[in-house]
Amino acid sequence: MNDTRNPERLHQDFEAVWGNPRGWRALSAVNHSSIGLRFMVTGTLFFLIGGLLAMLLRVQLARPDLPLIDPRTYSQLFTMHGSVMMFLFAVPMVEGLAVYLIPKMLGARDLVFPRLSAFGYWCYLFGGVILVSSLALGLAPAGGWFMYVPLSGDAHSPGVNPDFWLLGITFVEISSVAGGIELVVSILRSRAPGMSLDRMPLFAWYILVTGLMIVFGFPPLILGSILLELERAAGFAFFDVARGGDPLLWQHLFWLFGHPEVYIIFLPAAGIVSTLLPVFARRPAVGYRWLVLAVIGTGFLSFGLWVHHMFTVGIPLLGQAFFSAASMLVAVPTGIQVFAWLATLWTGRPLFNVPMLWLAGFLVIFVAGGLTGVMLALVPFDWQVHDTHFVVAHMHYVLVGGMLFPLVAGLYYWLPHFSGRLPSAQLGRWGFWLTFVGFNATFLVMHWTGLLGMPRRVYTYQAGLGWDLPNLVSSVGSFVMAMGVVMVLLDIGLHFRFGRRAGDNPWRADSLEWATALPPASYNFVSLPACTGRHPLWENPALGRGIAEGRHGLSIVDHGRRETWGSDPLTGQVREIIHLPGNSWLPLYAALVLTLVCLSLLNGAYALAGVAALATLGILLRWSWVNGAHPLAAPDERTQPGDPPLHSRTFDGPGLWGMGTALLANGVLFFSLIFAWFYLWTVAPKWRPPAQSPLPELPLLLDGLLLTAIVLGFHRLVRRLRRGEQRRLEAGLWTLAGLGLLQAAWLARILVAMPLAPAASAHDALIATTLGYLLLHCALAPLFSALQAWRVCLGLVGERAPYEPAVVLQWWDYCLLVFWVSYFALVLFPRGIGA
Amino acid sequence: MRPGHPLQLALGLIVWSLWLVAVYAGLSLGCLSVRPDAGLGVGSWLNELLGLLTLLTAAWLFGCAWRLWRTPPPVLAARRFVVRVGAWVHLLAAVATLFVGLPIMALPPCL
Repeated sequence: MNDTRNPERLHQDFEAVWGNPRGWRALSAVNHSSIGLRFMVTGTLFFLIGGLLAMLLRVQLARPDLPLIDPRTYSQLFTMHGSVMMFLFAVPMVEGLAVYLIPKMLGARDLVFPRLSAFGYWCYLFGGVILVSSLALGLAPAGGWFMYVPLSGDAHSPGVNPDFWLLGITFVEISSVAGGIELVVSILRSRAPGMSLDRMPLFAWYILVTGLMIVFGFPPLILGSILLELERAAGFAFFDVARGGDPLLWQHLFWLFGHPEVYIIFLPAAGIVSTLLPVFARRPAVGYRWLVLAVIGTGFLSFGLWVHHMFTVGIPLLGQAFFSAASMLVAVPTGIQVFAWLATLWTGRPLFNVPMLWLAGFLVIFVAGGLTGVMLALVPFDWQVHDTHFVVAHMHYVLVGGMLFPLVAGLYYWLPHFSGRLPSAQLGRWGFWLTFVGFNATFLVMHWTGLLGMPRRVYTYQAGLGWDLPNLVSSVGSFVMAMGVVMVLLDIGLHFRFGRRAGDNPWRADSLEWATALPPASYNFVSLPACTGRHPLWENPALGRGIAEGRHGLSIVDHGRRETWGSDPLTGQVREIIHLPGNSWLPLYAALVLTLVCLSLLNGAYALAGVAALATLGILLRWSWVNGAHPLAAPDERTQPGDPPLHSRTFDGPGLWGMGTALLANGVLFFSLIFAWFYLWTVAPKWRPPAQSPLPELPLLLDGLLLTAIVLGFHRLVRRLRRGEQRRLEAGLWTLAGLGLLQAAWLARILVAMPLAPAASAHDALIATTLGYLLLHCALAPLFSALQAWRVCLGLVGERAPYEPAVVLQWWDYCLLVFWVSYFALVLFPRGIGA
Repeated sequence: MRPGHPLQLALGLIVWSLWLVAVYAGLSLGCLSVRPDAGLGVGSWLNELLGLLTLLTAAWLFGCAWRLWRTPPPVLAARRFVVRVGAWVHLLAAVATLFVGLPIMALPPCL
């Protein structure tokens, strides 16, 4: 607490520590505001590309038998439209908004892993450029945004077109998962003092659930993409029936991701609605607890719906009925939210300005989309309209209504944050009405086109089938909608120059992001306020002034560290000071080298890809090195009297949570692989396990026992460190690293010596992939341990900075878990069933 | 797990997720391994097994919800919040289990 210093001087001091470098060095910035804005600007550019592709599709379908676009190009256009909109616009855009807003709403200065956010952005940018470049090169994928096999397999798509998708999208997904981990840990561990779970802003609840959904939802597709790329590039058998695979495995992996993806897009947008509506209704949201319950319920139930995308593939009726029921059930938590929003409006004193127009449009369109969703959940109806334009219409009602409309509302609402100015109400209203009318003209009519039987993904149609007029109306409507989007962009562009100054808290909002300057400084808050309720700015409208004057916590910066509070996940009570890394080139370098990996794989230069992968590992290890007590991180552990210790001097910093969350994502990927094993074993029509298992049981068992002993030893070391005993820590770590290396080498030898034929049988392909996965993890564990030993030697880790071995321990535990699960699945299960 | 533990906010629906995986996998495995006689309809051993699992899971979830409702309100507001929302999460999970499991009483397993 400090109330005597000059605020201007304080600002300069903080800016010296937190500010972004200028010129080309700005590429090394890791600040969450900059990264969030970069995500959103890049997402908007991809949105325009995706929109342009949609316009081309609508031009082609405006009249029957139009010769403008050939079938091949048309397939590329709709594939890229879907892929760009889903992967390069929708998810990054909402993640970008969350990256920008969450620390400000939580009363923090940054996210807890700023370099990870920056890395995520570069992965997204480079992955997106790789994917979109395929269009310019005439090599775009043409198998639909879901890339079903066998169409996307080597036999039917022999060029590199699907590889652009598989590699580019996987790259982008790394970004999404990184963002998910970052957001989850930040929300749980860096809230303002006193911001307990029951006081957390609703938007943070939505983003917390979304982040966890990303962590659990994206890995199945990452695995699917790896398997399909292995099949295409190395000839492994996973999806080829003749070799014991099954194309339906791809559909399961894709939709295990694909359906939660819809809610990953929707929930942040619903979070925007739950944030804005109370502000414009001028009262707190009705049913805070109900909304939290609905968000959690939606997050879980949305994972139980994936099979409704597969109702026509021949699943038993009872199985379909389970997923039909679950698909209807998910409407319940969504309905709770809609009723809570309506009740907030009903009991409030709503102001109908531009953001509210977009929210009203959202309510109308999304509810309509939800209702057609319930129709599609009915299996017989789904059979009738499957693969028709009805589904296209439903999907756009849900996605555009459920995401784009709230997003635009949010952008209008938070524009003063980006510019300090307000947009034009006149242009904003024109933009809304053109978009709303154009959207409904396009997609409402498309329901009828679908019911009249017009299939999706056909590049043209004959006259006289009754599809001419509705298609023409849809095409005209799409251009009206495009005019609306242009109007919105024009308004946003012009407001930076002509918009009137916003002033403090222009909407009289309740949440902490409006307690910053407009636009905010790089550190958000000079001093970090305590939170005494759900609506800090309604409870204390002068809070922003007090914050700017340095009257709250952590207002000292002469130590040169970037700091924010580390808090208890439940109560929000302060536990430690999290010190954050500063600007760094490492995220950009890592992403660049990873781009080289992708491009090498795309061109079949596997040796170069291997070298680049090793270089990536080297950069990431360097990244992990500059942490904790490192001279470039926080060598000085002193804090102000009464303040808690730095997180790196405790046993429970954000890195521990970050590693845990990352391993959750990793575990989902691994269990998806194990699912593939059991799935093919039970379902694939030509699955043929060999008479004699190729796995050497005893050597594998001994290798596992060695791994178990190492992990137990590591636990013992960490336990002793917790008790403050540093004696023999370095020697112990070196020993365990050496033993770990031996264990990994042994595993490698087993893998190499096995007579596997992964190109001939799915059975062998899955064994090779699972063991390869194990080997990769078991090889990294001793490397991490050796680095820890070295850090102990240098005095960077020890009883005064005991935190890092506990982080590495989680990796070892994970290796142990996946080893024994694999042993059960690959060795014991086949033997148990007599195969 | 203690009533005020934050994981109560997810526990019920985690159990629901596991139940869904178990009935879907159980149905597939049952139909592939020991396919019940088609003439038995919904009276097959597979329907009975899946139905029993559904009832047991729902009963457990209702029990958890009831236990949380009956918990004396903790002093700490954040824990009170967890207990209340956790009870509703368990109740939602129980209802979801029964609703999604309802077709077990109406459809034969392997058609």
